[in-house]
Amino acid sequence: MSALGGGSAGGEGINPAASVIALVIVLASVGIAYVVYPAALIPLIGVIVGGVLISFGVHFVPVGGAPAAMGQAPGIATGVAMLAAGGGLAGLFGGAWAAEMGIWVALGAGAMGGGLLMAITCLMVNVVYVYAMGIPAASGKVDKDPITGDTYEGYRSQGTEGHGLPFISYVGGVIGGILAGAGGTLIYLELLSVYQEALPSFLGMTPEGMQTLAVSLAGIFAVGMFLVAAVLTAYNITGTIEGPHDPKFKRWPRAVIGSSAACAACGLVAILLVVI
Amino acid sequence: MEEILFGIGISALAGALATVAGAAEDTESDIGSQGDPNSQVQLAPQMGYVHRIYNKAISGEPPAYGLWVALAAGIAWALMAIQYNAILALIIGSAVAVFVQGVYATTAYLGRTASLAKFEQPVYIDILKSVTTVTMAHAFVAVFTTVTMCFLIIEALGHPFPLPLMGLVWGIALGAAGSATGNPFYGKERQYQNYPFGAGLPISASGDIVRYAEAGQRSSLDNGWFTSKGAGPASGICFGLIVFFELWRTILFEPFAAGWGAVIAGAVIIIVFMVIDRMVETWARKTYGPYTTAEAVTEEEATA
Repeated sequence: MSALGGGSAGGEGINPAASVIALVIVLASVGIAYVVYPAALIPLIGVIVGGVLISFGVHFVPVGGAPAAMGQAPGIATGVAMLAAGGGLAGLFGGAWAAEMGIWVALGAGAMGGGLLMAITCLMVNVVYVYAMGIPAASGKVDKDPITGDTYEGYRSQGTEGHGLPFISYVGGVIGGILAGAGGTLIYLELLSVYQEALPSFLGMTPEGMQTLAVSLAGIFAVGMFLVAAVLTAYNITGTIEGPHDPKFKRWPRAVIGSSAACAACGLVAILLVVI
Repeated sequence: MEEILFGIGISALAGALATVAGAAEDTESDIGSQGDPNSQVQLAPQMGYVHRIYNKAISGEPPAYGLWVALAAGIAWALMAIQYNAILALIIGSAVAVFVQGVYATTAYLGRTASLAKFEQPVYIDILKSVTTVTMAHAFVAVFTTVTMCFLIIEALGHPFPLPLMGLVWGIALGAAGSATGNPFYGKERQYQNYPFGAGLPISASGDIVRYAEAGQRSSLDNGWFTSKGAGPASGICFGLIVFFELWRTILFEPFAAGWGAVIAGAVIIIVFMVIDRMVETWARKTYGPYTTAEAVTEEEATA
């Protein structure tokens, strides 16, 4: 058996053994956090929920990769993790800014920040396709748009799988940005709450003195965990996805399980960093 | 009131800087073939089309710009911590980041092109000398404007993130906006200029990129000239709008309804952009109509 001989298609189903291992990792991480620093239990669960939101959200984002750059496939012409990171981190920017207004306002601000980036980016993608390249939007996976009812038969140019961003993909992109932005912000806020509480006692610093350190640590861990969840999801998607109407969208439970385990482990490390 | 006006002014200035950054970022990536269209530049020699296009897919544009802007921001932040003048610190930080970009570009071009040796693709030293510096110049504009925008957001608007983290966040967003908006124009309209306008590229034609110009062989500098008229400004508008609306909605509406004002404003702006997108999509369907086969066109002409 060689690496070249291995199949790349992961299939649709959930692997029970891997899921049990993921569950064990999640439970072990939560258990260790509770034993070492009980106040970190709820924040760690928040971090896991944030990872789940990011992973689920990334499935909505219409990503066409390299084929989209030549008008050979629908979607945005960049990588899954790249685009989701852009949207999610713009959300993190907004959420962190609104952190002092309370968790729900910050989550809302983060969600809207991610959604706004995706809404503007998706619009400009269609503007370039339509006005600069003369190409109308057409899905390659469905013949009829589930929202607008537009038919795509006849709007796909010869030899391609469709192009541009059909309206369902646009809406998917915005929903993906909103979920990813909210997830990234949730991870940031939960880690920030742990650091603000733990750093003064463990490092002997004043709360004012460690504010920059807490924000920096929480921010960089949020960015890191965001990329962990987004890249794991990109592996699950394997290449390109058109949005919620794409058959690959059904694979989301697998990525959500994987991301929750990864974020639990990463979240535990992020918490242990300041409490040990 | 004065504070809000000041905030809106800073938002506009940050939006303007972001617009320049987006345009420069996309033009830089198109000259260097860094985005997804790079797949065709790499594929062409394997299909027998030897070319003189620069080839530096260092990584996806978002992580690449995340690195360069964060690096510039980190150095500027450190220099400001030892009391350097802020503008000087931002310029030095950007210059150092651009040297790193130049090193990456050089090694990427040499490595990727040398890997095509078995397909008889030469490594052109004159291309390395002439194009690398042009990508560095564009990267400087993109990095400097983005890091200056980040500095403004922190110092004038009071965002809690330190400068290096802010640079990482907006560098990744810059790369995401620039690659998403600009790649199709470079990939389809420029690299496959000899294929019909108004249609996607047939998958079977992959690798057959345009290699000749009006006189002699096409250079990547020609690609920068072409894309700076379409993809560059579009990417600039995209990133500029993202930054402006993100700041504007927060500055103007956050005081309302205990912070929910900014969230509601964000939702309204998203819906407005959604409606505009639907109008663009409908306009294209009505104006261009469905594709017709060659036989159908001949029949129509015969009937007429």
